[in-house]
Amino acid sequence: MTKNHRLNSISAGTEAVFHVVIGLFSICCIIPFVFVIIISLSAESSIREIGYSFIPRAWSFNTYTYAIQRLPQIWRSYFNSILITVVGTFLSTLICALYSYALFRPDFKYRGFFNFLSFFTMIFGGGLVPTYVICTQILGLKENYAALIVPLLVSPFNIIIMRTFFKSSVPLDLIEAATIDGSGEYSTFFRVVLPVAKPGLATIALLNSLAYWNDWYLSLLYIRQNKILQPLQALLMELQNNVEYLNRMSASLGASAIQEATRAPTQTLRMVLVVLIVVPIACAYPFFQRYIVAGLTIGSVKG
Amino acid sequence: MKKILALALALIMVFALVGTTAWAEEPVTLKIWFHGSNVTPDASQKVLDELNVYLQDKIGAKLEVIWGTWGDFDQSVVTALAGGDDVDMVFTCNWSADEYNRYARDGYWVKLDDMLPEYGADLLSVIPEGIWECAKTNGYDGIGIYAVPALKDTATQNCWDVNGTLLAELGYDVDAVCEAGLDYYSDEFEEMLQKAKDYKAAQGENDFYPLVVEPMVLERLVTVTSIVTGDLPGAAVLSFYYDKDHPSNDIGSEIVNKFATPEFEKYAKRTYELAQKGFISPSTQNVGTSNDYLNACQQSASYLFGTQSYAYGCEIDFSNARGIDVRMVPADAPYMDSTSGQGAMMAISAVSKNPEKALEFLNLLNTDPYVMTTLNYGLEGFTFEKNDDGTITFIQENRANYSPWRNGMGNIRILPPTADEGLSYWDDFSAYYNSAEALPYGSFIFDNSVVETEGAAIANVFAEYAFGLCSGATDPDTVLPDFLQKLEAAGMSDFVAAANSQMAEYLAG
Repeated sequence: MTKNHRLNSISAGTEAVFHVVIGLFSICCIIPFVFVIIISLSAESSIREIGYSFIPRAWSFNTYTYAIQRLPQIWRSYFNSILITVVGTFLSTLICALYSYALFRPDFKYRGFFNFLSFFTMIFGGGLVPTYVICTQILGLKENYAALIVPLLVSPFNIIIMRTFFKSSVPLDLIEAATIDGSGEYSTFFRVVLPVAKPGLATIALLNSLAYWNDWYLSLLYIRQNKILQPLQALLMELQNNVEYLNRMSASLGASAIQEATRAPTQTLRMVLVVLIVVPIACAYPFFQRYIVAGLTIGSVKG
Repeated sequence: MKKILALALALIMVFALVGTTAWAEEPVTLKIWFHGSNVTPDASQKVLDELNVYLQDKIGAKLEVIWGTWGDFDQSVVTALAGGDDVDMVFTCNWSADEYNRYARDGYWVKLDDMLPEYGADLLSVIPEGIWECAKTNGYDGIGIYAVPALKDTATQNCWDVNGTLLAELGYDVDAVCEAGLDYYSDEFEEMLQKAKDYKAAQGENDFYPLVVEPMVLERLVTVTSIVTGDLPGAAVLSFYYDKDHPSNDIGSEIVNKFATPEFEKYAKRTYELAQKGFISPSTQNVGTSNDYLNACQQSASYLFGTQSYAYGCEIDFSNARGIDVRMVPADAPYMDSTSGQGAMMAISAVSKNPEKALEFLNLLNTDPYVMTTLNYGLEGFTFEKNDDGTITFIQENRANYSPWRNGMGNIRILPPTADEGLSYWDDFSAYYNSAEALPYGSFIFDNSVVETEGAAIANVFAEYAFGLCSGATDPDTVLPDFLQKLEAAGMSDFVAAANSQMAEYLAG
């Protein structure tokens, strides 16, 4: 065993090079986030004097205290984000699984049409204004949670991924066998097919939960009066946009813009909000990770 | 079972009947969309509940407010207007995305001229004729008023922003220097900059730059020129020269290519010279960092001279915010043009079902101190307390949750003064702005859509050269001729000629 190389193994030198390359890449990914954490903990005076720095002149927790005490909306937004993400992920994954299962079954008569229906919308969108009009005036999607969930429910891209996944991992014989054993369509789907397709589902669920967690645009369009429903990302976007807008417009707004800008959140506050937003979703990754690795490798020829 | 069903049906009918009669008596709900607000839903609810009781009594209407913020106003209001949302009144102006003049042309606002005498009689008398004149634009239904202008800081005045504390430390008599005014081309001006730089260097601050400005504002301030409303957005290439002491005097000037004048050349040379001597930071000379650098320097009071488009009383705010003695030294007399008159307006949306009611409300908002104070400052005992002398003091804790943009609502001169502002604040405020003279071209607005192609080409050339020249980063001796040549090639002459012919037409009537 010691003398024999393991199957698929590579030479120590190559492995070292790979490790260095991948290690550098990981550092590139991590450093910005560490930097954000450091800035969020820097004293405002330090930033004013020496700008952003890995070693600030003074540390301070003040901004965290301020954010948590003075922005009551943060907690409400946290709740909103979590609610939207959980409900949205569950519903969208379910719909995606149901839709793509039907497309995957060769005995489904209207496969071609429904395939086209989802594929077509992936390439040609309706445009912002028509979408907006349909959502607000026909579907009543404004100033409510539904407006933050429904527009993202169906993603054609995910449907195609899922359909391909079903094709490569669920043998048709399995469904046939279940039918012969007397299982109905729903029972086959939920009891036989879904358990086999778990890795695929987890991948779709992660993609969906990211989409829901990171979304601020729906809130910008549909939540205007009832701002208590704003998710966390929308809150951050709003603060950030305010600062940028005032800077950009200062020439045309004159003194009143500068007066407003002094009231805008400080640079550390913005970083604090980034940290508060990123931490929960970062926690979701390890949870989905093992399924994702499985999802990526499943179907490939195993060594 | 049938009995129960019959009973249920009967009950539904009764409720339906009650429902419809209640509906009939329901007051009109008006929806208004403000810009730049920082208002939490709870605070908004609390204020509106009380205000609506008053409004129902006065005009039989209820108000719903969309508190637009700075950042997402542009994007969401444009979508909502295009999507035909049922909003009755929308904030508009000549600098945001729902640009007043353009949307008036495209038919998004209700033309108010015929409605004003009936539903806005008080408004007509409260807002001065000059401001109404500024609000006139060539809309889809001919020239007229398409939004109610706000009676706020309605004049423009360019000032030098002087760090009085630093100037005193340098051994100058601050009052005397400010009284005499500053001359950009004088040796004394340069000497003060040099002294400040040496003084800071002696303290170990080697990266101190005494002249911290917005380059494009500095250019206007020094050359005594105004913005021409309707110039290219983000690429102002037109200038109008006016009389420094009496802006309304006709000195026979026309709209000109900003960069082709001897005054501009003189300005660019001087700025380049000052930059070479190390008085202007490289951060000021970079479009990307200029604004952030300016803000940072102002907050930490690390400058000697800056530029400021003046708003009445702003030196007090600035002094408090920066912890130094900020002085404003006027470079010219205040003047009024359509840019200042269209800074904040409330338009009635063309899809509004109750435009008359909406105008009645705007009439009340601009003339009834209770409505304006409640909407702008909140409720007594909640966001502010009344003092014995008639001023008010904010309850900071709640005010932080209810801070609309004060200037964006309308006639702010009927607000009570705060204790910091002092009792005579609004009188002085009005006196200052009423003294502003209108420029000779009145409220002319250039419609640059007729020379759109030239405009796009000019904007590209502008982006390449203008900022460097205005901030002293590039040497005008070598760069300016190239720049002017490229502007000509892009069609600058036609652009200027179009502006002048439109102005001549406007002035002819």
